[in-house]
Amino acid sequence: MFDVWKNVLAEIEKQIPRAAFSTWFNGVELIDAKDGIVEIGIPNVFYKKQLESRYHSLIQECLEKNKIEAREIKYTVQSVMKAKIKARETTNGDKVIQRTTARVEELKYDLPKIQNNSLFNSNLNPKYQMDNFVIGSNNDLAVSVAKSVINNPGANYNPFFLYGGPGLGKTHLVQAIGNEIKRMHPDFKILYISTDHFYADFVNSIKNGKGDEFNRKFRKLDVLIIDDFQQIVGKDRSQEEFFNIFNDLYQLNKQIIVTSDRLPSQIKTLDERLSSRLAMAGAIDLQMPNFEDKCAILKSKAEYMGRDIENEAIEYLAENVKTNIRDLEGEFMRILAFSDFKGMTPLELINDGLISPTRTTKTRAVQPKQIIDKVAKYYDLSVKEMCGKSRVANIKTARQVAMFLLSEELQMSTPKIALEVGVKDHTTVMHGIKKIKGDVKINFSLRDQIEDIKEKIYG
Amino acid sequence: MKIEVTQGKLSKALNVVSKVAASSRSTLPILNNVLIRVDDNKVSLTATNLDMAIVDYLPVSSAENGVITVPARLLAEFVSNLPKSETVVLETKDNKIITKAGKYSSTINGAPADDFPELPEIDEGKVVSFKMGVDEFKVGANQVITASSNDLTRPALTGVFFNTNNNSLYIAATDGYRLAEKKIIEKVESGVAAIVPTASLSEVMRSINDEMDEIEILFDDTQVRFRIGEIEITSKLIDGSFPDYRQLIPKECESEVTLNRAELTRITRLAALFAKEVGGSITCEASVEKNAFIIKSVANEYGENDSELEAAVTKDEKVTLNSRFLIDVLNVVDEDEVRFGFSGKVSPVVIRNEKNQNYTHIIMPLKV
Repeated sequence: MFDVWKNVLAEIEKQIPRAAFSTWFNGVELIDAKDGIVEIGIPNVFYKKQLESRYHSLIQECLEKNKIEAREIKYTVQSVMKAKIKARETTNGDKVIQRTTARVEELKYDLPKIQNNSLFNSNLNPKYQMDNFVIGSNNDLAVSVAKSVINNPGANYNPFFLYGGPGLGKTHLVQAIGNEIKRMHPDFKILYISTDHFYADFVNSIKNGKGDEFNRKFRKLDVLIIDDFQQIVGKDRSQEEFFNIFNDLYQLNKQIIVTSDRLPSQIKTLDERLSSRLAMAGAIDLQMPNFEDKCAILKSKAEYMGRDIENEAIEYLAENVKTNIRDLEGEFMRILAFSDFKGMTPLELINDGLISPTRTTKTRAVQPKQIIDKVAKYYDLSVKEMCGKSRVANIKTARQVAMFLLSEELQMSTPKIALEVGVKDHTTVMHGIKKIKGDVKINFSLRDQIEDIKEKIYG
Repeated sequence: MKIEVTQGKLSKALNVVSKVAASSRSTLPILNNVLIRVDDNKVSLTATNLDMAIVDYLPVSSAENGVITVPARLLAEFVSNLPKSETVVLETKDNKIITKAGKYSSTINGAPADDFPELPEIDEGKVVSFKMGVDEFKVGANQVITASSNDLTRPALTGVFFNTNNNSLYIAATDGYRLAEKKIIEKVESGVAAIVPTASLSEVMRSINDEMDEIEILFDDTQVRFRIGEIEITSKLIDGSFPDYRQLIPKECESEVTLNRAELTRITRLAALFAKEVGGSITCEASVEKNAFIIKSVANEYGENDSELEAAVTKDEKVTLNSRFLIDVLNVVDEDEVRFGFSGKVSPVVIRNEKNQNYTHIIMPLKV
């Protein structure tokens, strides 16, 4: 019955505007349906009137489409949390939780928390939620693994190793997992910590002779989320300590979540034992969003902020910001601020040329020759050396990087690129571009080099 | 619809109402609007964020019936920038509202009132209601709000618990580390146990101004309504159970020290400077030998702090607290002298006013 309710909601979602749906049907649950009398749980009393007067016939129609007879619909206020527990309980064996009034049982749960006064702080930022994480082709795998982690912490994907470039949403996703688990299991001890802080805590604990405390703090956790793990490089004792904590938590089936900007095997000087353990449940990556994903992100952001923005403006941004999602959002906020300030819509601003994305449309102003110059200079070669037929490895790589950048940044055709860099024909260029495209995914020093060159070109 | 009203009155009303409209977390654009309704010369401004709704009844010199919704913040800001002495005329035309004041005028696009959510009704025949002075209410609410939590995973603690006990009305809040309770009405006829969201209560406090003198509070099963002056604020109640907090308040402290509030605030702040590294933990001591109350804090790297207050001490005591919590309570107690009650290292510290015993604030000690 509760699965059917999902279909009912989906049906309703199709028929009314998205903002209205997310406002009025978020947290609305089916409590019971029997003999044509349907009881629907709503988050608070403000929803009642609205559902009764405006959406009553729609709900009725959608219920009946899904073969639930609804002669009468009752709306009952219940908190979101309770609704969730209730739905879970009812599906597992038709137990319905009784509402309890404030009594001593509740207090007992409270008292130890007050007394041991651990001031336990999970470091989770409530602004990161699954609800505001936009799902696209670049991250759908990561999201489905995240959901599995949320539903069964410590079971299937343990450790959950998430990697990807900066600004693609690693921190958002892992914090959202933490927040979601905390909501479902309020008694869980969850800790989000960056690798830097882990290191600092560890060093302090040794300095103050409080190693035991440090040990206890981590070993009593139910979920450990550690961010930016690549920073562990060169911190051998921290690595050792993390390895021990990892093993202890893992054996107790506690969930471990690790993020990094690269695969464990690509983190230099990482202990092999640790490296193989981190990757044992599979490493999941977040990729650059494509054009459609970027549009979806901006649209959802606009909706979240309650702003109305022209599609063309969104497409313009998605087209022009090529670095990462953080920059995309930054550019978006900048245009909004400008638009408030000037009293013009974002599209008017763009059309009037009043706004040029900080590091994006500059692309247009760059000449092929500049790119070639910068690449040659970066690799300490003369343009003549680089644009030739030399097959010396480093010269060849430099040439291929130049081809790659000409294609990526200026969208030049391969025959034109062949002319610019002085190679035989366009197939050589195609091969070169393909090679670099493949290499940047696994060779992180090459990726950094290319970022550096871009910076020099546009900086 | 047409309304004529002075700039001062309109601006004040719009300011109060537009705050609620702006606080909406929803993406539904109409929630950013204020609903303006004229019905038989009665003008009301309404806004809601779906957790609460505010209605402000505006006294006007003349009005024609009608209804419209317009972006609340824009209208509020426009009106607040008009000269104080002007009479403002609001008039609707199609779905627009034209605002005129002397030489100044604006046209703001609105939306039809049909799209505005219908607000829940309260059957005032079936409510439990209380009345009290606005000033006492404001002081009392301030004193407990400070202890309420913003941890959304424990919804019951994000509110203030209105409850009756032995025919008195109390309000209480706790975040699990400290707890504040205030008796706000000495003798009441009816009983209540309801959790009012702290956010809604803060909005009530913001709406109070000097001209108001009485507040009426009405509860039904799912909502609460505050009526102050021309303003009516209706909020959902938090559906949950508040911990049986009375058991946490020690019946009696081992020893009490009476201290000057300003002095105690000063030495707590001084100690807090050195306690940043250790999460704000400071040690409070009472010494019979020195006849003093002492606060100490240690920052390993930077140094340490040690301040004393002269005090009549009957027993040596020592307890470690979070300085932030102590500062919070010292900011809201309303007498010049406070009582600091010790009950050993692991039991809560109780802070009360020296004379009036209707306010109790307890802080759980930190384990060392």
